[in-house]
Amino acid sequence: MPQVDLPITNPSGLHARPAATFVKAAATFACDLRVTNLTRDATRSASAKSVLGVMGLGVSAGHIVRLHAEGADAEEALAELAALVAAGLGEVSGRAVDDATRA
Amino acid sequence: MSERLRGVAAAPGAALAPPWRYRPPSAGRVVRHGLDEAAALAAGELERLASALRLAGNQPEAEILEAQALMAADETLLADARGRVAAGGFVADAVVQAGEQIAQGLAALDDELLAARAADVRDVARRIARIAVGAEAPRLARRSIAIADDLPPSITAELQRDLLAGIALEAGSRTAHAAILARALRIPAVVGIPGLLERATAARLVAVDGDAGELIIDPGPDERAAVESLAADAARRAADDAALATQPLKTRDGHRLTLGANIGRQNEAAPALAAGAEGVGLFRTEFMFMGRSRAPDEGEQAGAYTTVLETFGERPVVFRLIDLGGDKDLPYLPVGHEANPFLGVRAIRLARQDPELVLTQLRAILRAGRSTRTVPWVMAPMVADEDDVQLLHELVDRAADAVPDAPAARRGIMVEIPSAVTLADDLARRVDFMSIGTNDLTQYLLAADRTNPALADQQDALHPAVIRSIGRVVEAARAAGIPVAVCGELGGDPAGAVVLAGLGVEELSMEPSSFGGVKRALATVTLDQARDLAIAAAHAPDARAARRLADELLQASAAE
Repeated sequence: MPQVDLPITNPSGLHARPAATFVKAAATFACDLRVTNLTRDATRSASAKSVLGVMGLGVSAGHIVRLHAEGADAEEALAELAALVAAGLGEVSGRAVDDATRA
Repeated sequence: MSERLRGVAAAPGAALAPPWRYRPPSAGRVVRHGLDEAAALAAGELERLASALRLAGNQPEAEILEAQALMAADETLLADARGRVAAGGFVADAVVQAGEQIAQGLAALDDELLAARAADVRDVARRIARIAVGAEAPRLARRSIAIADDLPPSITAELQRDLLAGIALEAGSRTAHAAILARALRIPAVVGIPGLLERATAARLVAVDGDAGELIIDPGPDERAAVESLAADAARRAADDAALATQPLKTRDGHRLTLGANIGRQNEAAPALAAGAEGVGLFRTEFMFMGRSRAPDEGEQAGAYTTVLETFGERPVVFRLIDLGGDKDLPYLPVGHEANPFLGVRAIRLARQDPELVLTQLRAILRAGRSTRTVPWVMAPMVADEDDVQLLHELVDRAADAVPDAPAARRGIMVEIPSAVTLADDLARRVDFMSIGTNDLTQYLLAADRTNPALADQQDALHPAVIRSIGRVVEAARAAGIPVAVCGELGGDPAGAVVLAGLGVEELSMEPSSFGGVKRALATVTLDQARDLAIAAAHAPDARAARRLADELLQASAAE
């Protein structure tokens, strides 16, 4: 079963809006996607397509999550979500916030 | 006998009205809607409340309700509730219990952000339960002051705004969602009042003083008069602000400037227009590109751009082409690791590495112009010299070939690199408009990283070197007969706006939240006073001295 471990780098972790961004992207794939927060509790997992499930894992900045995928588009889903996490889930970091509002 | 209760001042203003006690709905045994149907209806209601808030310009508050709409459709909540229904529970009980279970899980994570979300989950579950039993949303029968232990944001947003005179809560702090929403909706509120429900529920009349943080139960004649006079003052302040929104941006002697809005997303267009924007002076299109692994395609971009053009109609909308660089770590950008991405391949420079990225955006802008029959203004960021202007023209020409029958776009540049100031005469002759980005211009002119707190004195755009640079660009634009705007933070700063008016800048573009302050400041001075200030600021030894001169003028004028 394909899986990938991802460090979470955006400042507020998988809370609120970044969690919603992640979940909405996951929901576009047909495969079964599960997330585990390796830093907090490696024995609990949640569906990557549930915002309450993902928030319940308490993922903060600096935590590492494992993403498992099973199904036809599993590889594609992992690649897409890994890229999304690497890009900060739409949340701009302290420096980037300043940059985003630059004029 | 009246009684005074002290709490925390949460939203300013005062109001006098009978109390209306809000009680969270209790679960019932009736089943009007099944679980999934009730959940879908709840999500729809929350979406509508969010969109009403967004249209009124309350974006952060709208996001609270948007997140709740997502929760209402969440599989974790619904699967848990479904299990409870299958075990013989009533739908309403099942969803409230499932919500409680999840809320406790979030609260137990010992994380402040998530603990705040626990209340949101409970609120969502109660809404689904209310719909499942077929109960109506709470409504006010007459003008009232809502009293409650806590008032969820979704309920505050749902109660009739014209009847909700004030809010008093036993629980809560200034930063609670209820308090944030009360401020956004301009409803006087006091929170954190111990003993409130016990004492106020049976009162005939209560008075809320949201400035002093006080609640008066059954006020006497003198107290009623005092609160009514406070309420009249607050109403006058609100009316002044509303009147200001329809006033043009002008000096005391009637010299007009164009007021533009800086927006980052399509849904900010309508609130900006409602706040009095005469156009969009800076549409930061890169927001749509951030936080994703692929760039938005031409159709998605064209849809967003069409919304903004439709909203503003004949008024100009300036699309800044994507202003991104290596600091963003976006997988689709043609940029490798750079030691200093702010001096690297970013903004218009990206088009040399990957023309298709910028061409796609330009085609989307032209398509939006074609479908709305309006002329889009496109602006290249980080233009350094004539080569960059040439690049802009070539790109726009190529995109126009691919979108026949589209109105020709106006082509402009952002002046934010010192070389563009030096070359302003030549650049101005080759474009249709210029806009000065004072934030980056200051950073690059003074070689002072904007994010380095040790360099605060070199980051103020009221620095004489920046003022003189702006003066040169204004001269160049005037000689070439093209309009020049300022879209950096200096334009939204009251002191800065006066200096810019004095320099001859024709348009100021800023966050809509700055409109009121800038209009008030400019209305206190004459154009001659602004010109004298601009000359004095340009010759001040540093930014601090320039700012002192501006503050002195504004204080003296306001006192007149």
